[in-house]
Amino acid sequence: MNLHPDDDQDALVSATTDWLTRHMPLDQARARPAGLWRGLADMGWTAMTASEASSGLGLDHASEALVFAELGRFLAPVSLLSSALAARWCDVSDRTALALATEGDAVRVLDGGGAGYAVATSSDEATLIFVPTGLDFQIGLDPTTPQARLISPDTLKTIEGPRPHRHLTLLAAAFGVGVADAARDMAADYAKLREQFGKPIGSFQGVKHPCADMAVRCAVARSQLCYAACALDEGAPDAGFHVAAAKRLADLAALDNARANIQVHGGVGMTDAASPHLLLKRAHVLHFIAPIDPLGLIGGDVGQNGASRD
Amino acid sequence: MDISFSPDEQRFRAEVRTWLHANVPTDKRPLNAADAIGFDKAWQRIQFDAGWAGISWPAAYGGRGLSLIQQVIWYEEYAVAGAPWIGANFVGINHGGPTLIANADEDQKRYHLPRILAGEAIWCQGFSEPGAGSDLAGIRTRAHVDGADLMVNGSKLWTSFAHVADFQELIVRTEEGSSRHKGLSWVICDMRAPGVTVRPIQKMSGQIEFCEVFYDDVRVPLQNVVGGLGAGWSVAMSTLGFERGTGFIADQVKLSGEVEALIDRAKASGRIKDDRVAADLGLLRAEVAALRAMTYRNVSQVERTGQPGAEASVIRLFTAELGQRIERMAVTLMGEAILDFRYGDDDAVHDYLRGFAATIAGGSAQIQRDIIGERLLGLPRSR
Repeated sequence: MNLHPDDDQDALVSATTDWLTRHMPLDQARARPAGLWRGLADMGWTAMTASEASSGLGLDHASEALVFAELGRFLAPVSLLSSALAARWCDVSDRTALALATEGDAVRVLDGGGAGYAVATSSDEATLIFVPTGLDFQIGLDPTTPQARLISPDTLKTIEGPRPHRHLTLLAAAFGVGVADAARDMAADYAKLREQFGKPIGSFQGVKHPCADMAVRCAVARSQLCYAACALDEGAPDAGFHVAAAKRLADLAALDNARANIQVHGGVGMTDAASPHLLLKRAHVLHFIAPIDPLGLIGGDVGQNGASRD
Repeated sequence: MDISFSPDEQRFRAEVRTWLHANVPTDKRPLNAADAIGFDKAWQRIQFDAGWAGISWPAAYGGRGLSLIQQVIWYEEYAVAGAPWIGANFVGINHGGPTLIANADEDQKRYHLPRILAGEAIWCQGFSEPGAGSDLAGIRTRAHVDGADLMVNGSKLWTSFAHVADFQELIVRTEEGSSRHKGLSWVICDMRAPGVTVRPIQKMSGQIEFCEVFYDDVRVPLQNVVGGLGAGWSVAMSTLGFERGTGFIADQVKLSGEVEALIDRAKASGRIKDDRVAADLGLLRAEVAALRAMTYRNVSQVERTGQPGAEASVIRLFTAELGQRIERMAVTLMGEAILDFRYGDDDAVHDYLRGFAATIAGGSAQIQRDIIGERLLGLPRSR
């Protein structure tokens, strides 16, 4: 048992963070450079767990989850989630959009600029659908995630079983952990600089304690994310629960931290120009990706604390 | 990263499970410390005689010298087996002993550690005072050197098990005129020494477990000073470090069992059909799972770097507040039966009332949030 990243994983994470800091800083999330996707693909982030035979990196979910938490921290494109699925489960290495079921036979296609396919998942199957060129992508709530509606899409491929959906749930949870981390750090950095009553506001417990709560939510969600990734890697019988629990906690951490970050920022936190609202809006999007039914977490048996897991 | 245990660790787990299954007391632990003391000592003695006391303590002082992961496995199996709360041995096993291991001289360790492990010596903690709660550096109980002894005068408050304890980890101000963190000493006080008066205090759960302690010219031999005169603050901080570190693994497993029991009870009673109840229980289940993951991460970090991460204070705060949410859910599911609680009842209402201690004792939740804000996030000090 070891839930601490090993040296390789530490190196992978810090290389990821370095690259993201240089090429896609958070405060420029609304104006990503045109060639960004090429760069993301060159770094291997579009196919981390796909086999090396199909030009992936052949890594485990634990490493993938750690990297996706970093990607999420910088508000990386949502189509990284679906492209990872397409590479792993559909043998598609092109950029692939994410499709969410909506009313009737329509789907909501997220972040599909230039994508020829989209992936949609449910708890027992995943489908690869065709995305026609010229689909009209518009900005909705989240300025970093363009979306379009597609009626009666053509299904190109269906993959049976719960594994693709669990994979998406894990990656979306990792993105949520990243958003929660970003909100915590943004709030703490601001609280160290902004002065009122002649002192940095972070010295006041009314600001400090909400920041501490953000740190708690991050630690809780990240720990469960790591556990869930390992459970998937090992094919543990309760992996489904652990992945769902990770997503539920990441959803809450992302949303609650994003909200608290705006409060810590005060007036500037409410503006369009500052970044806090980007985290809030991304948190709301993530909520609907592999959404967790809060009532679903009480079903089934859960291995209790290693003890019953022999 | 992986979550599987090695074949050796699995063998160890099986051995622990078999032994606990055959030896865990079938009687319920009495609620009040005075009634429970015999029970606590006997159970500790059984564990000691079978070689299960102090799994990660050095073998030279009666421990087993095994790994932290084996210690985790022990705690997990301990809770799954429904073994009783450690009770009056809590202070000796979870902080007095570890503090001695880290700071005491050879004579002190050889005398006290085996007695703690064997359940022969019960320890209590003399830190808080009427004027020194969260502001622990405000300690006013004083001691001056008189021949080969320290002469102690003052009082301590909220001292659990003081009325049944043999020894106390006591912090006193040994430098006249000193203030705050300076001039304090950490000493071993014999609770039967002349001049020690203990007054038990009843809690709002009905329990009699903590006390007020008065010192009137109490003589403590200088050889009972741990870590040297004036070094009390750093010795005390190492004690709190243990308290905030891995001492909560058994609690964490116990919480998991409690949530599963609540889900079963809500299913049986039909309350699960209330979507809010179902969603709350689902979240508690997820949070308990995350608590295990956090504990594993912390243990992995200690194994790798030799010390707990800054996240130990996060675990401490999260465990305390999660426990309270679970206790509150338990009484919510009870409905109006909560109104029938009487002092002496050992039920969910008792646990709920007793559970308020979790965010007050050993560093209040407010202090924990200060620590997280300042040490983890680097925010400027509040005080």
